[in-house]
Amino acid sequence: MTQNEKAAAAKKRNHAIMITILIILFILFIMPFILVIINVFKDKADIVSNPLALIGAHGFTLKNFPEAMRKMDFFNVFKNSLIITVSATFLTILISSMTSFVIVRNGKWKMCTAVFALMVASMVIPFQVLMVPLVSVYGGIFNILNSRITLIFMHVGFSVSMATFMFHGAIHSTIPLELEEAALIDGCTRWQTFWKIVFPLLKPTIATVTIIDAMAFWNDYLLPSLVLTRKEIYTIPIATQQFYGTYSTDIGLVMAALLLAMLPILILYLFLQKYIVAGVTSGAVKG
Amino acid sequence: MSSLSLKHIEKIYPNGFHAVQDFNLEVEDKEFIIFVGPSGCGKSTTLRMIAGLEDISDGEFLIDGVKMNDVEPKDRDIAMVFQSYALYPHMTVRDNMGFALKLRNVPKDEIDAKVNEVAKILDLEKLLDRKPKALSGGQRQRVAMGRAIVRNPKVFLMDEPLSNLDAKLRVQMRTEIAKLHERLGTTIIYVTHDQTEAMTLGTRIVVMKDGIVQQINTPEHLYNKPCNLFVAGFIGSPQMNFLDAVVEVKGSDVFLHVGDDVLKVPDNKKQVLIDGGYDGKVVVLGVRPEYFGDGRGLEDQFCTLKCKIEVRELLGAEVFLYGDINGKQCTARVAPEVDLVHGMLATYSVNMDKIQLFDKETELNLLYHD
Repeated sequence: MTQNEKAAAAKKRNHAIMITILIILFILFIMPFILVIINVFKDKADIVSNPLALIGAHGFTLKNFPEAMRKMDFFNVFKNSLIITVSATFLTILISSMTSFVIVRNGKWKMCTAVFALMVASMVIPFQVLMVPLVSVYGGIFNILNSRITLIFMHVGFSVSMATFMFHGAIHSTIPLELEEAALIDGCTRWQTFWKIVFPLLKPTIATVTIIDAMAFWNDYLLPSLVLTRKEIYTIPIATQQFYGTYSTDIGLVMAALLLAMLPILILYLFLQKYIVAGVTSGAVKG
Repeated sequence: MSSLSLKHIEKIYPNGFHAVQDFNLEVEDKEFIIFVGPSGCGKSTTLRMIAGLEDISDGEFLIDGVKMNDVEPKDRDIAMVFQSYALYPHMTVRDNMGFALKLRNVPKDEIDAKVNEVAKILDLEKLLDRKPKALSGGQRQRVAMGRAIVRNPKVFLMDEPLSNLDAKLRVQMRTEIAKLHERLGTTIIYVTHDQTEAMTLGTRIVVMKDGIVQQINTPEHLYNKPCNLFVAGFIGSPQMNFLDAVVEVKGSDVFLHVGDDVLKVPDNKKQVLIDGGYDGKVVVLGVRPEYFGDGRGLEDQFCTLKCKIEVRELLGAEVFLYGDINGKQCTARVAPEVDLVHGMLATYSVNMDKIQLFDKETELNLLYHD
């Protein structure tokens, strides 16, 4: 065997190993999702007897969906989740894109550097550390828990640092100052320059922040469980909790609720996926 | 009418760096002014102060007699073409060109008419619905020009607009800009570090160095009567040759000693050396490459210099000879028929009527003052 043939064989072997690892990882990631899909169309007995069967002994059924929707008051909790997710995502993008624009374009102003450093530092504080003081301050002192607005406010507060960090990188590396100067000469005010020139060019980052934050807000369980205790303002993850009983759990209903919960965010992801990679890498490499 | 006046303009950055010092310039209507100089000389800073993108630290800037120091860029009625073109990537060529008019609430029909008219002038009609990323460098450059023209501003500012183009396109666009200036008749201020652009485009050139204006005059004047060593060296390509020469006043004649060679200073140039007390002192002799020639047979006429030729470059219609005269690198531009080749010890004739003489200390031209 020549040197070249040995190298080619080694390359082929490494490639095969890598593909195998990727396939295993893919199965591990996709398995819970597949389990949800195949079990949502079975009744409780079929799920318990053979959760891996594609179709249960009692056949294909859609009865889990209306039952789950009724029990969890689906349209109401869906509305709550939608209001909270859309508002919090919108506000996060609005605030963080404008903040990062000011920080990047006033880099020599010490206050900007300090604010940005503070925001980056806040990203490393785990939520669990803030959990108890958060509830005691907002509940005990301000008494504003149990409100969608409070939850939106908290979501924005927790996500704005990361979003600002991402917008900062994007503006810094992908939007030349000359574009803004050209806009100023063309007749834009600073405000118009941001909205007509800078903001449209941040589309990939906006898409990335939208999907990351919308997913986080939509799926979040811990924060809403601390803030919302009134049933009428429950979000979807909180509402699914009631399917888990102390002595028995109706897995079929859980699966239906999970599928209903994940569908909107999946659709959003499919719409925005072409921007995601561009958004995540913007700022990583100077163009 | 649009005249500009810059009076004692200064630019000092917060870190104390003095970028522009005592800049004075009166620009008449329809002039094509070129700011030229090496990198960091303050030419772009001055242009940006005119545009309103940089604050003026001191002095007065007026357009048509109105003080503009604190006026916003959008209210100065100027248009600017940037080095990188600065086209808005998310807009089509049409939107890029009409953007400024749209901001001024010009009716859509009027914007379309204006954009179409300018697109026709610049041959951009077929590209109007494309985005900048789908255009070549030359096309982008034309769109940037179009965006400026559409507004019909009082003054055009251009910051090295051709520096991102390849050599051939640059020559082509240079001609286009000259034609446009002729056609539009607008005042243009143009920044470049390329002296060829400066010489070919400008009605007047401002030569700058280290934030200080060296000389302001027409291209011909700067070429023939540079006020100092820097301007003489900067204007002209290949640049002027500089040789140290010792002055000798003998009776009513004045001679320059360059190594072993002796040159006789013409009558119309010698008086300044006599009056200035330069006898026995070193001055800098400046000779442009084209004022050297084949001097064989002229050795006894006090107008020749010996040169050890190192490189011969044939450019087709002319030949550049690079060599050593008395320890200094020199360039001669001669006809291809001149049979001097590398390795030869050549005798150059010097057109003594065209020489320049500079003071060694002050570097000022002894023969001409602006």
